[in-house]
Amino acid sequence: MTDTAFRETTAEPVTKSVPLAHLSLELGHLYMEDFEAGPKRLGEHFAEVRVWADAVRASAARRSKRPRISTCFLIDDYFTRFSTPAELIPMILKEAEKAGLVIDYLARESSCAVADRIELAESVMHRLVESPPPGTYGSRPPVSQTGWLPNGQRTPSTSRSALGAVKGWEPPQETAARNHSVFMDVELWSERDGKRLWSCPFLAAVWQLARLGLLRHLGEPVLVPKDWEGEDFPHDWDRLPPLTRLTDTKAAFSAYRTCTLMPNRFLAVEDAVRLILDQTDVDAGALRQVAERSAAEGMPVPAAVAQRATYVFYEEPGDSSEAEET
Amino acid sequence: MTAAPGQPARSVLACGEVRTCLLPSVQALDARAAAQLLRLRADEHVRVSERPSMYALSPEILTGVDCRLPASNGTKVRGVGTVAARAVLTEGRLLQSTAYFSLPATGPDMRRPWGQYLVRPGLVEPFGKLPQQATADGVLRGAGRGELDLGMISEGLLAQLRRHALLDRRVPFKSSPTRLRWVARRVPAGERASLANFTVAEGGLRTMELRLPEGIPAASAAGLCEDLALHDWLLTTVQHMLDNNRIGAIDGPSVVEALHPVVVHLLHLWMPRAHVDPALSHLWDVLEDKPGFSRQWENLSRRIRDRLALQAVAMPHQALSTS
Repeated sequence: MTDTAFRETTAEPVTKSVPLAHLSLELGHLYMEDFEAGPKRLGEHFAEVRVWADAVRASAARRSKRPRISTCFLIDDYFTRFSTPAELIPMILKEAEKAGLVIDYLARESSCAVADRIELAESVMHRLVESPPPGTYGSRPPVSQTGWLPNGQRTPSTSRSALGAVKGWEPPQETAARNHSVFMDVELWSERDGKRLWSCPFLAAVWQLARLGLLRHLGEPVLVPKDWEGEDFPHDWDRLPPLTRLTDTKAAFSAYRTCTLMPNRFLAVEDAVRLILDQTDVDAGALRQVAERSAAEGMPVPAAVAQRATYVFYEEPGDSSEAEET
Repeated sequence: MTAAPGQPARSVLACGEVRTCLLPSVQALDARAAAQLLRLRADEHVRVSERPSMYALSPEILTGVDCRLPASNGTKVRGVGTVAARAVLTEGRLLQSTAYFSLPATGPDMRRPWGQYLVRPGLVEPFGKLPQQATADGVLRGAGRGELDLGMISEGLLAQLRRHALLDRRVPFKSSPTRLRWVARRVPAGERASLANFTVAEGGLRTMELRLPEGIPAASAAGLCEDLALHDWLLTTVQHMLDNNRIGAIDGPSVVEALHPVVVHLLHLWMPRAHVDPALSHLWDVLEDKPGFSRQWENLSRRIRDRLALQAVAMPHQALSTS
């Protein structure tokens, strides 16, 4: 509908673009149990992470002479609230610095659910398009009703057939199985007292989409980083911006690709994240922008969104069994 | 074989089905309410245009499919991908939903990871070679058992919207919904789009065949078909009301009563090509020429106005004041 003198802006919505780095490198996730184990353990984490971060930078340098890499760190303030930004953030930054790491962007996990009053998780939930098992010809499976997302067909619930005979067990089936299935069913949320609690994998999927520059709200960027002006951090998590820029880095928060460094106990969570990303219909405008710009820079992104995220799972430092027992 | 992400893979055929019905609401919706109704996704805009008529278009939602493609000759070709669906509200009064998808000439012999289909929304890939003619005919005939069912998808969206809390679910008058199935064969870019046929069948079914140059999005074809379906619904509905009321036979205030909804709710809706892609709006000319959509509408409107004028002249003043 071009070539006309008359325009109505409400009839032609646009998707704003966001600045994009080459790689978004996540240096860690902090949960309460990590915090409780003390700064020493956090320091050991960072020392381990440093090794892999160097490897990731070396890998990025193979794609570009001057790779734009931004680093980020996520603190859980959604499932459990502990400590305060004023107490916690300086400690994290100090331990990172000791290991020779710089954290450019700091995010709160709760901002993957709601950021700046925008319900990001809810919006992403509306974008789930389930992978259809063979034989699906137009019915829409009710993911929004069950709150579970599988990678195939579930075992049929045990029921009697019309003649009353109990049928034997039937196996579930992974849709993309190669010879044998690895069936997975991911809980996206639970409800308690009418309140929805998003699951860790679902919030982590939102987090990946944000880092990949693929989230918009009515065409506008979301989770826009805010600079921290150097005073003391607040004593209340709610007073900390959803995403804070801690350094003067020129590398943008969002990037063509992500790399996440985390202890190997998160492997199942991140596998679930990939399952969710693989069934999310992301904003077409944002998708196009990322594809065009990455191609123009000679580093085209993989077509499928889930393929843009890589991971390093490292062995938990120190005596983790002891930490878990506490 | 794989197209760049976000780029539509070269398709040879686009098909869709539009359902058109009266919005189940006593009052027509204003632009704000229309945008609320059609907000199928919280994070995406509803396109609202108020000139030359109020038109609201929902974001598109996808339905994943993996099944046999419709085929008139019983050929069994499996297709995998996504069908796009969208809804339109015109003048806050007529609600339409369209389900549509495009097909490339060939596809891989195995299913890809699902994420690769999602980056090409509205594309269904055949396993192997697409039997173009059989598929086109199959879509127009309607889905057989287990075949990709556009009607089910568009009806599903329509049903979801009809249940929306904004609506009081009361219609100002009775009418029947219509279905329009369409197929568009791709022709080289630069050729002119053309309308090969438009058939009015029984039971509110219409079928339509187009030739669509490469480079014109399937969504534009969907928009044209929605526009034609809307005007066809208007003709069908008003004609039916005039027939039903046997306008010639009744007299007095009951004429006014019978024609009242047409005048209040429908007469101003006639606005061909108001929101059609300019590259396709000439396809209206074919139908204006024969059978003459607008000619028929003018004729119907004139009949209604004449009847009302006659009634006004004939009616004594006291009858008017008591009616």
